[in-house]
Amino acid sequence: MDKQSGYTWKLGMFVTIGLLLFIMAIYFIGKQKNLFGSTFNITSQFKTVSGLEVGNNVRFSGINIGTVEEIQLINDSSVVVRMVIKDEVREFIKTDARASIGSDGLMGDKVLTISPGVKSTKVIENGGAIASVNGIEMQDLMKSVKKSVDNAAVITDELAIFSHSMNTGNGALARLVRDDKMANSVSNTLSNLESGTKGFSENMEAAKSNFLLKGYFKKKEKEKEKKKEELKEQKEEQQEKAEKAKEEKAKAEKEKAEKAKEEKEKLEKQKAEDAKKAQSEKGK
Amino acid sequence: MILTLKNTFAEIGNATVFAKQFFKEVFVPPYETKEFLKQCYVIGYKSLPLVAITGFIMGLVLTLQSRPTLVKFGAESWLPGMVALSLIREIAPVITALICAGKISSGIGAELGSMKVTEQIDAMEVSAINPYNYLVVTRILACTLMVPILVFFADAVGIIGGYVGINIHGDVNFYRYLTQILQSLEFLDIIPATVKTFFFGFFIGMIGCYKGFNASNGTESVGKAANSAVVTASLTIFIIDMVAVQITDLFF
Amino acid sequence: MIKEKENTEPAKKSKKQDPIIVIKDLHKTFGKDNKVLQGVSLTVNKGEDLVILGRSGSGKSVTIKCIVGLIEPDKGEIKVFDENVLNLSKPELNVIRVRIGFLFQSGALYDSMSVRENLAFTLKKHKRDLTPEEVESEVMEALDNVGLSDAIDKMPSELSGGMQKRIGLARTLILKPEIILYDEPTTGLDTITSREISELILDIKHKRKTTSIIITHDMACAKLTADRIMVLKDGVIHAEGTYEELEKDEDEWVRSFFQ
Repeated sequence: MDKQSGYTWKLGMFVTIGLLLFIMAIYFIGKQKNLFGSTFNITSQFKTVSGLEVGNNVRFSGINIGTVEEIQLINDSSVVVRMVIKDEVREFIKTDARASIGSDGLMGDKVLTISPGVKSTKVIENGGAIASVNGIEMQDLMKSVKKSVDNAAVITDELAIFSHSMNTGNGALARLVRDDKMANSVSNTLSNLESGTKGFSENMEAAKSNFLLKGYFKKKEKEKEKKKEELKEQKEEQQEKAEKAKEEKAKAEKEKAEKAKEEKEKLEKQKAEDAKKAQSEKGK
Repeated sequence: MILTLKNTFAEIGNATVFAKQFFKEVFVPPYETKEFLKQCYVIGYKSLPLVAITGFIMGLVLTLQSRPTLVKFGAESWLPGMVALSLIREIAPVITALICAGKISSGIGAELGSMKVTEQIDAMEVSAINPYNYLVVTRILACTLMVPILVFFADAVGIIGGYVGINIHGDVNFYRYLTQILQSLEFLDIIPATVKTFFFGFFIGMIGCYKGFNASNGTESVGKAANSAVVTASLTIFIIDMVAVQITDLFF
Repeated sequence: MIKEKENTEPAKKSKKQDPIIVIKDLHKTFGKDNKVLQGVSLTVNKGEDLVILGRSGSGKSVTIKCIVGLIEPDKGEIKVFDENVLNLSKPELNVIRVRIGFLFQSGALYDSMSVRENLAFTLKKHKRDLTPEEVESEVMEALDNVGLSDAIDKMPSELSGGMQKRIGLARTLILKPEIILYDEPTTGLDTITSREISELILDIKHKRKTTSIIITHDMACAKLTADRIMVLKDGVIHAEGTYEELEKDEDEWVRSFFQ
């Protein structure tokens, strides 16, 4: 009997440790895959999952919190992804959280990232759905890039034609740019024109003093003065009107500002109250 | 040539009949619990040091050998996962099974062979004790159940060996090492490998018993029985392994 | 012709004397043409010690192994306790086997067990409801019978050949068999030990009123134990009679045993 118990305890220890190793391995691998412990489900609808696979990690603030459980195509343009998430992080995921799909590491393993929302204070329900942000697909990116590249091509083409014609064409502008003679002649023309007009104004002065034409010029002057007076009156009237309008406007603005202030104060008060309420509820 | 072939087939046929008898008798009382436990002790506990040392060395060597290649690809951080995967899926089961073939199969072959030669098996038979039930069923059953447990130990010790191997060149925290391994493992890596080991165990025990039980009279045949038990069992392990891997590949 | 007469006459006589083992026309061939038994017929009566003489390889051992079903004959009929051994199922055969003791040439002790375990093992397999104390006392009694009660905690490898045989005999006796088959009980032992074993056989016969078949080529043993002797030659019973009868047999070959 003694002899028997001598080996049985060793055998028992051997078997126990061996099985324990196996069970531990199973447990920890299961934990990795969220098979054990309390979890909850949420879903999110995507246009495309970009190669996400069942079993990929779900991340929240960079921490692995769960895995993708199921990926289902529901129609030609939407895919529903169901994920299993540890219960302990549930309070941090609000109803307005958003799911997006990104790449992890060099090998391009996909991860589903949940980004926290901004406004909502409501914790997500088991089986609830969250919105998705469709990640920028490479294809879309390429499309927009292509558009600007196309436009740039058109612009450079035209620019090339323009500069070519500038260099080789016989148009006025081209010649102006290229030809020294032409430039000189243009400047000569301009100076001639200047002196020409000078002479003309002198002639006109002379004509004014000529008796034959005196009457005509006087008449013209009178009309001019009349017109000036009329203009003066009109201007004064307009000024008066403008001043009145200005005064009224200022008054209205003042009133408006006061009202806005009051409203703002009210809003802030309410907000503070809300926050207090929320805190007390949380405490409960 | 044809005669050899015929003899081989006859051998396989006899072994099959022998194995069939195991399944016929394993569920039928009387259950030889005490002898079964004793065999478990001999086969399991007594083989542990050998299996542990081999497992440790396999883990260590595998790590050191795979490291240069992975470093070349800049994938050194995959080393723990890779070592653990190859250990658990293939190396630990096969190496452990081969060691058991050498230690257990030959031991059983020699023990039963000498019992046969010295008429001990006949003595049991004539005193109305079923020698098959007492000697063979207990040993095959103990083998079938103990070899998988030995493989668990080899896995664990091999992983520790891998950790030592990694720490020769770098400094990795043990917890981080384990996390990396667990991340790379799936049930699909463990379950087929474990199922496979039950078959290994069964055949190791069965072949050892068959060779011993059928030793012809004469001291020389004891050595022959032990020897051919090792050879046949080792060969069978590789064949089973190939079949098992193909089946796993097919279904998963 | 004469031999056949001799063969049938005692058989007739023994029928009145309550035959316990009846073998008729037993044939056994090993391999292709190694004809070991070619029509052995014999009868053993209750309380009788039958010695079978014969040279090595004459089929003596095969004959008694056929009786307990270790070897299956090609042809023939074996009746033990009026049951045809060859037609029995395994459980039925085991019932008969418990009533037959078999002492092997080498003793065939289980060498992984101590003497005590050797004896207790056999006992416990058949009488599962015994308490450990009862087992112990039965083991002691059986060892007392063979005069080796001080060897109880030894391993078989520590025992001499003669002791091994006596322990083997004790192990056979522990089930209280009605028939004991001895396969060369004195082979490989010195004259004194052989004599001790022979006396032990005789002693058991008187104490337990058992029926025995003793296979031997040791004439001292045969002389001491035999009620009747049969000589096996070429797979058939060649001669039969008491020790004194056969000693004066006219066949020189038979007489050569007694020289």
